Amino acid sequence: MKLYVVVWIGLILIVGLEVFLTYERLPAGTLLACLLALALIEAALGVMYFMHLKYERPALFWSLIPYLLFALVMMDHFWPDALRLMRQRMPGP
Amino acid sequence: MGHSVIGAPLEASPYGIQSKKLAMWLFIVADAATFGAILFAYGYLRLANPDWSRPFAFSPTILNGCVMTVVLLTSSLTIVAAVSAAQAGRTSTSVRWLGATMLLGIVFAALHLREWFAMIGVGWRLFQNPMGGSPLFGATFFGITGLHLLHVMCGVIVIGAITLGFRRGRFDAGHVETTALYWHFVDLVWMFVFPLVYLMNVR
Repeated sequence: MKLYVVVWIGLILIVGLEVFLTYERLPAGTLLACLLALALIEAALGVMYFMHLKYERPALFWSLIPYLLFALVMMDHFWPDALRLMRQRMPGP
Repeated sequence: MGHSVIGAPLEASPYGIQSKKLAMWLFIVADAATFGAILFAYGYLRLANPDWSRPFAFSPTILNGCVMTVVLLTSSLTIVAAVSAAQAGRTSTSVRWLGATMLLGIVFAALHLREWFAMIGVGWRLFQNPMGGSPLFGATFFGITGLHLLHVMCGVIVIGAITLGFRRGRFDAGHVETTALYWHFVDLVWMFVFPLVYLMNVR
C-alpha cells in the first residue's frame, strides 16, 4: 500500500502544480502544453500503478496502448481547420 | 491447459489474465477513444469560436474542482485497498474499502451537481450563454462533464452490486479487481477533463 500512497500524493501534487500554472498567466498555448503534459504523466501513473498495467504481461500493454494512441492520433486531422478559423477572426473594434 | 465443455483443449490466455479483466481493458480503450473524441471536438470548437467564454473564478468553481479531484483520487486509493484486501482473502476489510469508495463517488457526484445547479441558476444552459459568448460553451461543458458524471454514477451502482455479491460469496476478488479497473479509468478521465474544461476556462 505504501507505493500506492506515494503515487496518490504524487497525483495530488501534480493537480496542485496545474492550478498554480493556471494562475501564472502563461500564454494559452504554453499553458495548454503544460497541462496536457502533466495530465499525461498523471494518466501514465494511474494506468501503470493503480491499474497494475506495469505488473501485467507486456503483451497486454502492446495490444492496448498503441491502438489507443493510434486512434487519438487519427483524430488530429481537423486541427489545421480549427487554426484556420482562429486566424480568420476579425480584430475587435 | 483447460478443456471446453465438448472436451476440446482450451488455449491459455496470451495475456495471463481472466477474460472479464481483458474485456474490461477493451471497454476502457474504447471508452478512452470516446472521451478523446469529445475532448478533441471541444478543442476544435474552442479554437474556432472567437467569443469563447471563460467564466470560471477561483472561488467557487476551481476550488470546488480541486476538492472534487482530491475526492476522486482518494477514491482510487480506497479501491486499491479494497482489491488488496480482497486478494488477501480479507472480505470484510475489502467490503469496508469498497463502501468508502462508493461514499467518495457519491460526494464527487454531489459536488458536481451542486456546481451544475449553481451554473444553471445564473442562466447557463445546454445552448444558452448568460455571458453573451458562444452558446457552445454550455453544450461542451455540460456534455463532457455530464458524460463523466454518468460514468461516476454507473461506477457507484456497479461497485454497490459487486460489494453485495462479494460479501455474499457470489463474486470473487477478480470481480473486485475488474470493477476497480473501471473506477480508475473514470478517475483518469477526470485528470484530462479538469485541466482542459475547467483550468483552461479560468477568468
